Amino acid sequence: MTDRRRINGPVGATFPPVFVYEGEDAVKETKKTRSRPPNAIRKMYLKTGVTPSASGSAYLEIETSAKGSGSGLKLSCTVHGPRSLPRSTPFSPHIILSTHVKYAPFATRQRRGYLRDSTERDLGTHLETALRGAIIADRWPKSGVDIIISIIEGDQDRESSKAEGDESWDMMNALSGCITVASAALADAGIDCVDTVAGGVAALVRNAADDSVSNIVIDPVPSEHEKILAACCIAYLPTRDEVTNLWFKGDLGASDMELYTSLVEKGIQASKYANRVLVECLGETVG
Amino acid sequence: MPITIIAPKPAQQRYAAPQDSPDASDSEEGDDLSEGGADLEGDISMGHRPAKKARTDGKYEIVTPGEVITDDPQWMRGHGTYVSPAATSIISSVAGTVTRTNKLLSVRPLRARYTPEVGDLVVGRIVEVQAKRWRVDVGSTQLASLPLSAINLPGGILRRRTDTDELQIRTFFAEGDLLVAEVQQLYQDGGAVLHTRSLKYGKLRNGIFVAVSGMGGGGGVVRSRRQVWTLDAANGGGQIDIVLGVNGYVWISKHVEPVLAEDQKTTPTTAGPITNAPTTTGITNLEESVSATMYSSQNDRIEVETMREIARLRGVITALVENGLRVDEDMVMKGYHEAVEMALTYGEGGQDDVYLGGERGEQLAAVLRGR
Amino acid sequence: MSSQHVLLSPAELSYLHASLSLQPLPLRPDGRSPTQFRPLVAETGILPGTNGSARICFADGTEAIVGVKAEVERTVQPFTQDTQTTQDEGETPAEDERRKEEVGGSDWVEMTVEIPGYRDDDPTTVFLGQMLQEALLADGEFTKRLRINGRFHWKIYLDILLISPPLSYPLPLLSLTTHLALLSARLPRLKSEGDEDPLFDDDWAASTYVYPRDNNKKDGKDGNNKVVARPPVTLLVMAVGNNIIFDPAREELAVADVALAVSVGEETTTTTTQTGGDDDVDMEEGSTPGKRRLRLLSVRTIDPPSRLTPPGVPNATNTAYTAPTGTAEAKTQDGARTLETERVEGVWKAPRGGAKVMVMAALVAKVLEKGGVADEVLDGLEAVDLG
Repeated sequence: MTDRRRINGPVGATFPPVFVYEGEDAVKETKKTRSRPPNAIRKMYLKTGVTPSASGSAYLEIETSAKGSGSGLKLSCTVHGPRSLPRSTPFSPHIILSTHVKYAPFATRQRRGYLRDSTERDLGTHLETALRGAIIADRWPKSGVDIIISIIEGDQDRESSKAEGDESWDMMNALSGCITVASAALADAGIDCVDTVAGGVAALVRNAADDSVSNIVIDPVPSEHEKILAACCIAYLPTRDEVTNLWFKGDLGASDMELYTSLVEKGIQASKYANRVLVECLGETVG
Repeated sequence: MPITIIAPKPAQQRYAAPQDSPDASDSEEGDDLSEGGADLEGDISMGHRPAKKARTDGKYEIVTPGEVITDDPQWMRGHGTYVSPAATSIISSVAGTVTRTNKLLSVRPLRARYTPEVGDLVVGRIVEVQAKRWRVDVGSTQLASLPLSAINLPGGILRRRTDTDELQIRTFFAEGDLLVAEVQQLYQDGGAVLHTRSLKYGKLRNGIFVAVSGMGGGGGVVRSRRQVWTLDAANGGGQIDIVLGVNGYVWISKHVEPVLAEDQKTTPTTAGPITNAPTTTGITNLEESVSATMYSSQNDRIEVETMREIARLRGVITALVENGLRVDEDMVMKGYHEAVEMALTYGEGGQDDVYLGGERGEQLAAVLRGR
Repeated sequence: MSSQHVLLSPAELSYLHASLSLQPLPLRPDGRSPTQFRPLVAETGILPGTNGSARICFADGTEAIVGVKAEVERTVQPFTQDTQTTQDEGETPAEDERRKEEVGGSDWVEMTVEIPGYRDDDPTTVFLGQMLQEALLADGEFTKRLRINGRFHWKIYLDILLISPPLSYPLPLLSLTTHLALLSARLPRLKSEGDEDPLFDDDWAASTYVYPRDNNKKDGKDGNNKVVARPPVTLLVMAVGNNIIFDPAREELAVADVALAVSVGEETTTTTTQTGGDDDVDMEEGSTPGKRRLRLLSVRTIDPPSRLTPPGVPNATNTAYTAPTGTAEAKTQDGARTLETERVEGVWKAPRGGAKVMVMAALVAKVLEKGGVADEVLDGLEAVDLG
């Protein structure tokens, strides 16, 4: 009885009731399955020049496959710079790139704070690696550029409570979107790049129906699959045929190197699709 | 075996080794007495000196801060000591060994950063470019400065410094560049002013850098007769230059024949074996050639054999430092010859015969201590 | 910046690049072979106040200490429609229920990396921590071991401490130390049964290893029991030209074309019954001992500092190279243009663009190859006395 000022809750935790509606079938149906072919990405909408006050900006929206909720990943990217560095910074023969990725507090099921947490910083580092290979840094000595991405809405299924543990896979999708949108915004800001870099994700999934067979899909939506065994996110420069960032995560036997290779290849394929959208979007802006 | 994992050793081991070799300690003593300057950072040979010296002749003693060294008023206090206002006794302010030079009493710290002295040959790295000078990291407490007026400008040694030079200051030295220079002057606060007004000095290229100081165990470059020399490498490695900066920064590079300007050839240069090398003549427009090597950041073609021997020398120096031995011309040369001998036992043409880390380094050090 | 900034002169970079891209074998500045690691001093069980600890030290004085602390924490029950409220032990649970129980939460492990001179929210630190954590959680096996019963689990705090500012990219050092600390980590023996509040044995000698050992197999001269499962290791591997180099030092990484961090785990070889009891899964039938079955857990691109290095100026365009001041003006403009031209031998130029897919695939393949580096690193770590 140390704490008398507050009314303490009961010792055992309780759960709010959840009502089963429309019988058992409806419950089963919440587990969605992938309706797209395995080598197709979701539709995406990309537009540059959405923020007039920034040197360059872009907005990306990816269609969701979740029923009813009608919205998927929404990203907004602004590029500030190139601008001169503060006097205190040491001389740099290259442009200094700084990337910030931030989930809006309301972007995910679990509310995010205003301070960037470790996953957001991690995403920022990945994004920086992906972009650093693409920009021609020595064109802009003694200058800096800030790339700020807000994830306005994360692609998470709000209805399903089964999506526990999917967050780590969602990060890959978010990163691939970040790379694409940042690339568009960089081009919009007129910063020299060797090529347009775009992100793509491929995953090795196991579906509920056939438990033993695993297959590779591109642009995976975690809630559509029973289990994701491995996934990789790739930032790819199509005309140079080079990869600037590769992030693989999962569990693959060393003997399955072909699986790894094909996973990477599929990731590149996804990136090529995204790149097509990117190039078209940039063409529209100019035209 | 790509990975070597060694079990930790008792700390005693380092001190045990020199006691077995009284000969080595004698030769060290000789060196110490002759050089007379302030000692360098991380000189580990001092690390095991006190115990040994105290045992052999009691001339050197180790003191700690606050310890009274002497009450005798005849002594004058030097570096590393202070006098309390009330008494005349001299008290140590650092942990180190006591040195007596005539009536001057000073304490040399066991480990400290480099303290520059006028005339020191140092290897430094440019960290900042300012309007009329460079700021150079020489491993000291402060950045040294190299004024634009203290370098030889291209197009003749006696050319006037112009505004264009000031604007193009980065074409001479830019951030990250390594250079060899001499301490010209000291400020009151211990900061050094460097100059490169000699053919011996200038930008470094065609080689590899090792920072001996401040890295772990100690050991380091000691002041000696020659800080710069050229050696004939084994295994067809050609000639290799070694620059042991007094500040503990070391440069090992392929020897490139310096091209002397006409007016320079007659000037007698006191030290520095580079200038002792035969000069190339018969090239027209010699003054330009001088500046060419001075500020170029383009490497010459370096043969694989030379690279191998440079890597071996680097290994020798690292092994010396890691095992707490001093780094000077004598030790490096002995170590190098030993390393070449040792390499023969590692199998014919094995690629890793250059490797001198871990046990091999200890083996090498053990051989050198035994001499 | 994901990897630390290095200040090297263009001449040094050019020399390093030339010597590291030599064919058939690179010549490393310290003479190591391409797959050789720096020698290191390792010991475990150095901190009696922890559940497990390890220390690794390089010859250059870089040193890392890892402490593992475990706390009992109440498991948050995710409410789903099909959650059973029965208190059954899970002997014959529904298939779906069983799956749920086996999986531990990723928040059961908290990993912090502390590097002196870096803020703890510095991208480098966060990146390193995330990378190590990702590898540890990748196969889901580790969190399973932390389950006590249906209501409680162990929460593991892994605190990684670098003693001095790193002289090279500290990833391999941190990973190897973490590996050893986890191997030596022990948890008190559980005395209670079922889903009641957990009660543990006071006797530390009776504690069990987080990574269980097979009492039947003695490992070599030390008489250590063979560890049947091992934590992952993360290796740093880079490519220069056509060469693949492991455990690069700082100056080697500065000329890397591409650098990857590859996390490798080992497949559990033998079936064991854990103190936790019911939840250990049988992996495939035990393979022949000594032959590891490696698993690829994670690959990350490390941003090589080479992109931020200052470019060298070829003699042909160097204004300080040929003296006459009259021509200097023309030369500077020339110089700006020739920056875009191709490589001049002996002049450093920071790499641009990404890496070829084939190169990246080769790096990963090299790590995983049978009897390759990952194999030997695990062998080497096995030999460390887990006191």
